[in-house]
Amino acid sequence: MSEKIGGEHVPDSTRALDVDGDIDLMVDDLDLWYADKQALFGVSLPIAKNAVTALIGPSGCGKSTLLRTINRMNDLIPICRYEGTITKGDVEITAKDADLVEIRKNIGMVFQRPNPFPKSIYENVGYGVRLHYQPSREELDEIIEKSLKRAAIWSEVADRLHDLGTSLSGGQQQRLCIARTIAIEPDIILMDEPCSALDPIATAAIEELILELKKDFTVVIVTHSMSQAARVSDYTGFMYLGRMVEFSKTDKIFSDPAEELTKRYITGRFG
Amino acid sequence: MKKDIDTLKKRSRRRRDVVEQAGSASLALSGLVGMFFLVVLVWQIAIPTFIDGENGEISAASEFIPISDYVLEWDHPNVNEQGDLKTEPIVLTITWEGQTGAQTHDLEIVVTANRGEKEDVQISEEGLSTTSIEVGKKTKFYLKSVLDVPVSVEQRSGPVPAADASGNPHVSSFVVSGDVAVLISNGSAVFEPLEMAGWTSLLVLTFIVSRPTERRLAPLVRCYGRERQIRGIILLLAIFTIVIGQTTLSAFLGGLCWLLFGVALLRTIEGMERLQNQGRSLTEVKRLKHSISDREGLLLWSRMLLVSACFFIPLDIDIPFLTERYQDIFQPYASGIRSAFFGTVWVMSIAMLVSMPISIGAAIYLEEYAAPTRTTKLIQALVTNLAGVPSIVFGMFGLAIFVKQGGIGLGLGPSILAAGLTMGVMAMPIIVLASQEALRSVPRSLRESAYGVGCTQWQVVKDHVLPSAMPGIMTGSILAMSRIMGEAAPLVVVGAAALVLFDPEPLAALTGGNLNFTVIPIQIYFWTSEPEHAWHSMAAAASIALILLLIAMNSIAIVLRQHFRKRLNS
Repeated sequence: MSEKIGGEHVPDSTRALDVDGDIDLMVDDLDLWYADKQALFGVSLPIAKNAVTALIGPSGCGKSTLLRTINRMNDLIPICRYEGTITKGDVEITAKDADLVEIRKNIGMVFQRPNPFPKSIYENVGYGVRLHYQPSREELDEIIEKSLKRAAIWSEVADRLHDLGTSLSGGQQQRLCIARTIAIEPDIILMDEPCSALDPIATAAIEELILELKKDFTVVIVTHSMSQAARVSDYTGFMYLGRMVEFSKTDKIFSDPAEELTKRYITGRFG
Repeated sequence: MKKDIDTLKKRSRRRRDVVEQAGSASLALSGLVGMFFLVVLVWQIAIPTFIDGENGEISAASEFIPISDYVLEWDHPNVNEQGDLKTEPIVLTITWEGQTGAQTHDLEIVVTANRGEKEDVQISEEGLSTTSIEVGKKTKFYLKSVLDVPVSVEQRSGPVPAADASGNPHVSSFVVSGDVAVLISNGSAVFEPLEMAGWTSLLVLTFIVSRPTERRLAPLVRCYGRERQIRGIILLLAIFTIVIGQTTLSAFLGGLCWLLFGVALLRTIEGMERLQNQGRSLTEVKRLKHSISDREGLLLWSRMLLVSACFFIPLDIDIPFLTERYQDIFQPYASGIRSAFFGTVWVMSIAMLVSMPISIGAAIYLEEYAAPTRTTKLIQALVTNLAGVPSIVFGMFGLAIFVKQGGIGLGLGPSILAAGLTMGVMAMPIIVLASQEALRSVPRSLRESAYGVGCTQWQVVKDHVLPSAMPGIMTGSILAMSRIMGEAAPLVVVGAAALVLFDPEPLAALTGGNLNFTVIPIQIYFWTSEPEHAWHSMAAAASIALILLLIAMNSIAIVLRQHFRKRLNS
């Protein structure tokens, strides 16, 4: 089945969704509208545990929208509504009475632009921890140190934990945001183009970090850079005009894509 | 073709330059015009207050009578501290340049227990019509001259007219002396040497930090590592200044100068050390300034202190005018605005206590919680329009709701409580709008990052949005407060009194005390409508007092903003 939109044959969202190992979270047949405009069309996506899943596609294809639906960030936009289900284990995330705080605690998010709180580095990491747990001072210090170390930024900020988080460089800020996210021990980390505002060296540092994080967390990353997707991810979903055109192992997508559209996008012929 | 484009570019650049210059020139011009009006305004306000206070009792009788006519007024010249009669006569020396040379005549004024006969003294070529007159309590007589030369009057002995219990003249207005004494007032220095040293040190440091060079900073480099000693010395100096100056206002200001100097010095040294550790040049003005001023607003404070010293200290601010003296219906120059001052303070406090929590809460609700339904849009429109409603209308509202009994009226009467509530209601829309603007300017990314770590909506507002918006909210609130502080119209309607000779009771409406109160703008309004010229001078003095209060309020706004911004930045 396919639909012709703007001179392109756009296939319906794929149902071929095989992953090895455990599935951490399942997006099932998700439709989403901004007011009257539909942004996602029956998207389904399995997210494998302790793996990196990358979402690629041209601008405006719904990658970020999909990502932001996973931890219900889209609820902040009043005109947004959706149908379909997202389940994590036996928890239905899209349920009306779902506990948003619990969801966002378990599914952390790193944004496109580094957005540390205008507080000290210590407070930036400690805030979320204090929100969800009641750590003693020593425990909190320990958690903060551990998180900053895991985010590979400890050596740069160890001697100025009480400086403003916003006084760091862009790459450091983004790693601080990652530290802030992993400090509250989520299961899944969503990353919305985490490197788009960074220079190549900072990007390399973040990519290395992602590969490291994979051991403990499930990572979903939206990226514009296909090479980045190829480097860091285990699974890749290609989206186009709100449809999940193809989902497969990263090796397969980049070497032997099933869809003509995917092939053309990856080889840079459109998008 | 290329050449055409070049000329086109050049032409457009020229036009841009012309527009730019015209724009900045007109801006500068309008600024100058504004400054001019400001100067004229200040001059117009200030001039009438430069009354020769010491001689205020012997002043030109009227603007329309030649200056050689005098009116002499006494309050209780005949009673000493114990209330006994004083026997010492008052002697005036009256001199003028007559046709037959300089003439000098003494006029003896004998004070009696009873009200004396009202008798005017005539001055003519032959001399005085009488050399001795009797006066009693609250006596007023005229010294009338038929000469066409100026006559000067000097008091030689006896109690100064309208003397208070201590024998000092009780005739000073808000600004005591007619001369603008810069450093020396009435022959004595305004500042003690130590105070002077404090001012100078602060001035020098402010200058060095504002325009640092290697050479100017050299003496400071030697202070490295001696922070503790410096702190001790400065503290001692400050205490000494206050003790030696016998805890007068100028002594306190001097001590404050020392403290500020100390803190600024330590900050500067700290900043310099940090700069050197980073291997930067000491003269990186911006960074040095940042390490001092941005954090604490120190530079700002020292500048404010210096400027205020230049303007106000030499003029010998007469504090009793503000906080000690009530209005004296017989003697303008012996009057003060005590009741009006306290009335203003109480009304403002009540208005602030009532309006700020409600308005900020309303702003948070409208901005963060309310769904954009038709109702909230309507409320938003109403609030926006309310901010533009004339203040007299709020006065009518206050009259109906707070003052009157019956119907929806609370029946508080024409009291401070009713006035404070009315003013609070008037400030509300302004505060709501300012707070909404501040909340709206908090970036979405901050909210998202807060939600991202699992905050509830209340936690997002409380921990992130509100602290970020606080400087804006505070500024808006204090500006609203200073706006309503100057309002007279609503309070005329609510029922502020023209003459109050006691301290107002803020909760009189509830406890059943005396409801009467007045505020400074009302006092000014009633004083300006008095026929006697002296009251107009008092009105001008009260205006200056009001302006000083406003400046104080706005300084508080600055301090609060700095405080919240500092919390945000550290």
